[in-house]
Amino acid sequence: MNNRLLIINGPGLSDLSRFNEFGHDDLTLEKVQKKCLETCESLGLSLEFCQSDDEAELTNYLTRACKEFDALIINPVSYSHASSLDFDIYTSNIETVTLQNKPVIEVHIANIFQKGVDITKPIKVSEGNVGFVSGFGIHSYELAIRAVHRKLRKN
Amino acid sequence: MNIYVINGPNINLLGTREPEIYGHETLDSISKDCIKKGLKDGHDVKFMQSNYEGEIVEWIQNAIKEKIDAIVINAAAYTHTSIAIHDALKSFSGFKIELHISNPHLRESFRHVSYISPVVDAVVAGLGANGYSHVIELLADLQKSYK
Repeated sequence: MNNRLLIINGPGLSDLSRFNEFGHDDLTLEKVQKKCLETCESLGLSLEFCQSDDEAELTNYLTRACKEFDALIINPVSYSHASSLDFDIYTSNIETVTLQNKPVIEVHIANIFQKGVDITKPIKVSEGNVGFVSGFGIHSYELAIRAVHRKLRKN
Repeated sequence: MNIYVINGPNINLLGTREPEIYGHETLDSISKDCIKKGLKDGHDVKFMQSNYEGEIVEWIQNAIKEKIDAIVINAAAYTHTSIAIHDALKSFSGFKIELHISNPHLRESFRHVSYISPVVDAVVAGLGANGYSHVIELLADLQKSYK
């Protein structure tokens, strides 16, 4: 049976037009999903791809990742910075997934460290044993999927 | 495509240094793997490693002079200290990727600030030694979409 991968996209990612300023032109979430499906198919992974602006729903997805999936890729958007969203819930969920030795990779479309960020202030990225890919545009997802695939083959 | 893969201090000890964090693979085996992967797609991959900050700065300056297409840099501990490497990278107009074997954001707080991250296009961390070959594989796709 194919390994099951869940890709979660966080708040605001239904509209990707704001990434134009980073040089990632004409991106839509549908394009990202299509590319992810193609990559997963070529590697023999089955994929569920979702997006939500709702914190409770995102938490549900994370809980499902623990139970029903073999690997998780998450674009947490502002969860990555200790923000108004509940950072503790996010990190404890990610930790639960990684405690089960499942590959988890955090992805971002743009390089989150690049624009208007004070580099002397550390950014909190996901805690727990996770990989991190940021700034490759749509290819951030592709790289993450390949990395997940290689890790799953090793386990 | 000409690619420099620049490695900073202590990366020469890969395989023996804290293998529970950095794994058992040596820099030599990683570099052979990447060069082979690069050649397959017609890319010239040059692997280098230095424990000296100034030498790393000179390699970046050399990449500017030689019009190298992309730099993959694992500045290791200099990531968190080197404004000189930050400045040199700023002057390099090709594609720049910061790479770490482990995820520095999950480790000691003195590793949480990177002077490299704001001046590169992309950051890859925590994918283990495989991170290198994943990045080399992807550069072909990026070349298509960025140039």
